[in-house]
Amino acid sequence: MEKSRHFKSSSDLLVVRGDLVLRNVEKFESPLKKWVDSSREKIASIDLEAVESIDSSGVALLEELVERASKKGLRLNLINTPEHLQESMQMFSSAMLPAETVTAKESFFERLGRAAFNTGKEFIYVLYLVADSFYFSVINLFSRKGVRKGEYTSQCILIGMNAFPIVALISFLIGFILALQSASQLRQFGAGIYVADLIAVSMTREMGPLMTAILFAGRSGSAITAELATMVVTEETDALKAMGLDVVRYNLVPKIHAISTMMPLLTILSMFLGVLGALLIGVSYLGLGVKPFITEVISVLYLKDILTGLVKSVVFAWLIVLTSAAYGLRVRGGAAEVGRATTASVVTSIFLVILADSILGLIFYYSTKSPI
Amino acid sequence: MEQKKDIVRVSHLHSGFEDQKVLDDVSMVARKHEITVILGSSGCGKTTLIKHLIRLYEPWQGEIELFGQDILDMDEPEFNTLLLRIGVLFQNGALLNSITVAENVAIPLEQHTRLSRRVIHRLVRVKLGLVGLGQSLSKRPSELSGGMRKRAALARAIALDPPLLLCDEPSAGLDPITSASLDKLLLRMRDDLGMTVLIVSHELASILRIADSIVFMDAGKVLFCGPLKEGRSAGIEEIDRFFQVGSF
Repeated sequence: MEKSRHFKSSSDLLVVRGDLVLRNVEKFESPLKKWVDSSREKIASIDLEAVESIDSSGVALLEELVERASKKGLRLNLINTPEHLQESMQMFSSAMLPAETVTAKESFFERLGRAAFNTGKEFIYVLYLVADSFYFSVINLFSRKGVRKGEYTSQCILIGMNAFPIVALISFLIGFILALQSASQLRQFGAGIYVADLIAVSMTREMGPLMTAILFAGRSGSAITAELATMVVTEETDALKAMGLDVVRYNLVPKIHAISTMMPLLTILSMFLGVLGALLIGVSYLGLGVKPFITEVISVLYLKDILTGLVKSVVFAWLIVLTSAAYGLRVRGGAAEVGRATTASVVTSIFLVILADSILGLIFYYSTKSPI
Repeated sequence: MEQKKDIVRVSHLHSGFEDQKVLDDVSMVARKHEITVILGSSGCGKTTLIKHLIRLYEPWQGEIELFGQDILDMDEPEFNTLLLRIGVLFQNGALLNSITVAENVAIPLEQHTRLSRRVIHRLVRVKLGLVGLGQSLSKRPSELSGGMRKRAALARAIALDPPLLLCDEPSAGLDPITSASLDKLLLRMRDDLGMTVLIVSHELASILRIADSIVFMDAGKVLFCGPLKEGRSAGIEEIDRFFQVGSF
């Protein structure tokens, strides 16, 4: 017979002593399971007479042992249960609990069907959102009803003005790096001056709008998703609806107006600072004069180049704001879902911006018969 | 008559936020195996008081003893060990929304014990069964009603069978039947498990059903601390008004 301070056992009897509570149960679990596993009897008993107190973990352990024993064909009886343990044993028993429902695993086609259905639902929701956004964006140009006073200005400051330093710095550095890389190649052929052409065209048609959009997606897009998602989770959007306000009109339209104004302005800034970065390389590395460099930039740039960049910037702005809103307003759950929606919104926004850039590039190419 | 041991003892507690005083010389006790209800008008400092007991706020001055130990003198690891003996039910449940109800209840068991997963799962089922949520194990908190969330939070609070349970407005927002069943459960915990329960509540029906003692607060001060019967006959105007208006 094995003996310890808290229990002694033979092959068909286990006598437990002391407190069968959490601090002891942790220690008992392993040896008691071993006792059950090693028993070669058909019937065995656990004597609880010397147990002084029991809590829920003690009851759970006893039931676990009984179940474990029954699986290996051993009938395990709990005997001599003292009166004072009865209440706790009854209260914490899982015998009266409803059986656990096991949900059947979905087949491949069921999952496929569900995914298709959900995608369709999401698509319809996005269509409604886009339609509402366009509609209220136009309506709100003439009527300020349903929008908080001063919201457009504060969004312009939040989305545009506050993004000014980072957009300026990144654009300057992009122009600087592109110029440096191309200058080292072009100077070998005595074509250093063409750095001005290269950077001017690439910054206005491509890099200016693209870099500004990527920065916007990371900075303002994530903020929009997080704000709207938190409003959904904390029932603020429900409160707005209950007050007879349209969530898209009240929350989103000022952001759309602000981003549609600020994005082209910041794109122009980005184009200018990119060229400025290139000018620094032209003057310091290639030994070009400031005047010839600027003359070259002016000679290569057409108004359509700048307009192309600005059209792209507005399209990107709308893509970012609508993607961010779609993710934010569809959140269900809590804090973790807000984080997930924000990450997904930024990734999707950047993907859509690059996709749209490619499509617009093709459209402008074929419409003007010159590569843009 | 046997004098019951004080599980919670607060002495001359002063506290507030920045310059605004919230608790003004608060002294109170909660005795072993009793249900003590902290009551009073909104904004009188009830929740602030209960949050001081688990050191979520730092008091300006005063003493707080739990299980006879001064918690303000304890270092962090020592206090964290003591916290294992306290279950807390927050006003809004404070369940983690990213995981299921069962996973919420399992958190203290997984983090603070070395029990096997099967025993933990059994305990989770039992605790959720006790609060009437035996069928909601795999649901997320966002899929539950307000009352169900509160009950799930109670299941998490009692996961480790703590000898002291702190509840911030457990019955608020619940229908009378659910509220009564929750009260029944609290009474069972006191009677069958010997738990000490300290509750913040406004619900008069609930207070009359479960309170052994009351701590009546008004504008950050304790006006009365003692048995419910004595409190009602103490002739304190604010208490009389509370019970009269409440039963209207």
